[in-house]
Amino acid sequence: MENFVKDDTTRESRKYKCCKWLLIITIIVLAIRLWDLQIMKGSEMRKLSEQNRIRIKKVIAPRGIIYDRTGKIMADTRPSFNMYITPEDIRDFNQTVDGLAKLINIDREDIIDKMKIASSFPPSFPVRIKSDISMDEVAKIEANRVYLPGVTIQIEPKRNYPYGKMIAHMLGYVSEISDEEVKNKAFKDYSPGDNIGRYGLERAYETYLRGKDGEKRVEVDAMGREVRTLETIEPIPGYSLYLNVNLDIQLAVENAFENKKGGCVVVETKTGAVLALTSRPSFDPNKFASGITKEDWKNIITDKMHPLLNRVTQGKYPPGSTFKIVSAMKVLEEGLINEKTGFSCRGGFFFGNRIFKCWKKGGHGSVSIHRGIVESCDVFFYNVGLKLGVDRIHEMSEIIGLGKITGIDLPGEINGLVPSTAWKQKAYGQPWYEGETVSVSIGQGAVCLTPIQLVQLSAFVANEGVNFKPQIVNRIVSSEGKTIKTFEPVMNANAKFKKDVFRIVKEGMQGVVNEPSGTAYGSRLQNINMSGKTGTAQSVGEKGKNLGDHAWFIAFAPAEEPTISISVLVEHGGHGSSVSAPIAKIVTENYFKENTQVKEARIHENR
Amino acid sequence: MKIDKRKLYHLDWYLILNGLVLFAIGIFNMFSATTSFYSGSYGFIMKQLVAFSIGLILIFIIIQYDYRLIANNSKWLYLLAIALILLVLIIGMIAGGAKRWINVFGISIQPSEFMKPILVLFLANMLYEKKRENQKLSLRDISMPMLATLVPFVLIVKQPDLGTGIIIVLTSLAILWFVGLKKSTYALLISVGAVIPFIAWHYLMKPYQKMRVLSFINIDADPSGFGYHAKQAIIAVGSGKFFGKGYMAGTQHKLQFIPEHHTDFIFTVFGEEWGFFGSIILFLLFLSFILRCLKVAQNAHDELGSIIAFGIGTIIYLQFTINVMMAIHLAPVVGIPLPFISYGGSSILSVLVSTGLVLNVSMRRYMF
Repeated sequence: MENFVKDDTTRESRKYKCCKWLLIITIIVLAIRLWDLQIMKGSEMRKLSEQNRIRIKKVIAPRGIIYDRTGKIMADTRPSFNMYITPEDIRDFNQTVDGLAKLINIDREDIIDKMKIASSFPPSFPVRIKSDISMDEVAKIEANRVYLPGVTIQIEPKRNYPYGKMIAHMLGYVSEISDEEVKNKAFKDYSPGDNIGRYGLERAYETYLRGKDGEKRVEVDAMGREVRTLETIEPIPGYSLYLNVNLDIQLAVENAFENKKGGCVVVETKTGAVLALTSRPSFDPNKFASGITKEDWKNIITDKMHPLLNRVTQGKYPPGSTFKIVSAMKVLEEGLINEKTGFSCRGGFFFGNRIFKCWKKGGHGSVSIHRGIVESCDVFFYNVGLKLGVDRIHEMSEIIGLGKITGIDLPGEINGLVPSTAWKQKAYGQPWYEGETVSVSIGQGAVCLTPIQLVQLSAFVANEGVNFKPQIVNRIVSSEGKTIKTFEPVMNANAKFKKDVFRIVKEGMQGVVNEPSGTAYGSRLQNINMSGKTGTAQSVGEKGKNLGDHAWFIAFAPAEEPTISISVLVEHGGHGSSVSAPIAKIVTENYFKENTQVKEARIHENR
Repeated sequence: MKIDKRKLYHLDWYLILNGLVLFAIGIFNMFSATTSFYSGSYGFIMKQLVAFSIGLILIFIIIQYDYRLIANNSKWLYLLAIALILLVLIIGMIAGGAKRWINVFGISIQPSEFMKPILVLFLANMLYEKKRENQKLSLRDISMPMLATLVPFVLIVKQPDLGTGIIIVLTSLAILWFVGLKKSTYALLISVGAVIPFIAWHYLMKPYQKMRVLSFINIDADPSGFGYHAKQAIIAVGSGKFFGKGYMAGTQHKLQFIPEHHTDFIFTVFGEEWGFFGSIILFLLFLSFILRCLKVAQNAHDELGSIIAFGIGTIIYLQFTINVMMAIHLAPVVGIPLPFISYGGSSILSVLVSTGLVLNVSMRRYMF
């Protein structure tokens, strides 16, 4: 311990003096500087602090435009007036909130809720209180500006869907990002008030459509009004999408579906390019873009018609007789029957201890495969099914791509199902019964498919063993017109079958529309040879109540050299022949009317 | 353990009172800095009070043990602090960026803050004999203290936390000066000191750090960045005029463009609301606190205690001066908290631990 103690108790005081002087000089220097700032320049600084405040403001990037294949606008942006409150600038909170609630149609509680959500951000961060206010409301706020410090109105780009309810399922919608999402790392590039693609193409191509917001450094006065802009970083608009869709065909289909429930998809046979895609019932995507009200949202999600379900990619239905094409192709390919093989139809088919009925009560008599397809004889296909067994039907479906997702560029596509013995064993732990094969062979029983899968079937026949991934977007283009990405056709199925298989099936499908005994004869066209297959699928509605059969029609045209493939479903619509085939007729008519130049050129070549 | 009544009697109540007043000012000021019209700032205040309570417990523990005993074991504290700083760097690297904190049971700790008092203890323990014998330090004598300073300096600057790094280096230079240097050592340190800015500028400093220096020299060099913040800070302080805008009535400081206004730029809040009058009182409180540390150093029982009290006083002085200078544009912006006033648990704890050490030296001044 002694070591610590200094022998000499008088401590050197020079250094302490030095330190004290340094301290005093430091305080004097600081005081002089403060005197200069607070006393000499104080008034000037006070004025600056009261009148000139500089804010960093986001400049929202306009979202990319969506065009159809001919360059017609399907979704764009329009200017909208949005009302913000900057917490920092409010003088009297209650006066502002009550004043606003009186002037425009908004609840006091709504305003407070929104401000609470934004309370983790700096008080100089403007909080969006109401989007897309009317001109009338803008005028009221401007007139009362003096009583509403901190309230500002910004003109910002807003998503606009000129066709509203039409095309909604394909385009999707955008809406404001939620509070929970903002906190999630996956959305770290977003801030409160930002819009995000929720559904359809808006969601699938969000990263391309969104663009990059800019920034503006503005001077604002004591009322929060902009005085001048100091610096601007321009926003980069989102990339535009050019679709494969033909707006005219799309609108024709939309109109044909008015008051119906179901969906339709039309693709280019040789590429998979989607020409039209409709699902009904629909919703108005514009409502989401403007900030959907709680009531509207409740109405949409509680609607028993499920307007937010894209029936083309997310609706599972028994395919009914359209599925006979699958059985027909497989049975011919396997050589189990030939063109001349006949089965007798007396209106029913005994199997086990059950009678499986044909849709035609009196029976078709002796039926070959051609008549079997043309007249859609159930008994003929019961026989075919038994010859094949469920696993061979399943195998054929796999090749075509039925029961699995097609890869269309829309989010949320579902699988569907074509049963097999292995599937049943796995799902139910039970063996497969042959009686079930009888149902499956005509597209009933456990089979369920989506309309987009059935258009793949139609294209498969039309292309004789080939089909392509359905693609809605053709290319992505920047705002300067530079092509960012093009989508080339992607082959989904490529199967080699005996040549006669497709000839026989195609002749059958041509007969369905063009032979007087064909089930879709009523939908034949004068100039164009359309081939197709009807389907009327039994469905059991809720609580066992039969709401009517699902009406199907799949088609391709022209029969000789198919360019388009179509799949139509009308949910609980009745007969495929009378309900769905006419829609395919409208599509075909419109397509060839649209493409008359192409048609004429072809005729010329043929000469 | 029971505390000796004589020691309690010798406790420096003046220093304690002075520290309490500063801390109370800090709490009231922070309440204003973090409050907006619809959301309270109880979270900040609560955390600060919790840190303060823990700090009081630490002071109580520290004054129970003779500072000589603590200094004797300072190398273990030093190694522990180095290990924690290294840990920060490792965890920081995983996060992919700069990190100054580590998470211990949900509480984030900034080890570099604690390095400051620990280094003072470590250096004091190394040098007190030289001072007692009135030996002037040769080049060889300062090599170990310099090394002991450079290791944490490099690690802390890497985080990056230039502010704390600067405080560490300046504090240990002050301690070396306090112990006494040979003329040749002075000459060397001064010549090295003259070269360092060039090396730092060309090889060590990151572009954003250079930008801070440039915008200090010319406030318009980076009008949308640091210069801009500096300008807004000046406007905040300047607009306080003589008596200030009044408590809770500051507008400028609440704006987004004064960054870290509850931590490193806390003085702008005080300056705006209390004006020249309040600021001078605050300065005098700091002056009195630092002078008290010096007095403890002068009256300490031995040179070890003297160096410790001097070193702690130096830290408070440097942090106070640099922090205020950068708020009023007399120094480039580096992150340095204002002792007692800035928000931050580690900062408060470090200041209280330091105060505890000074109290320890002070209460044992009559012990033989």
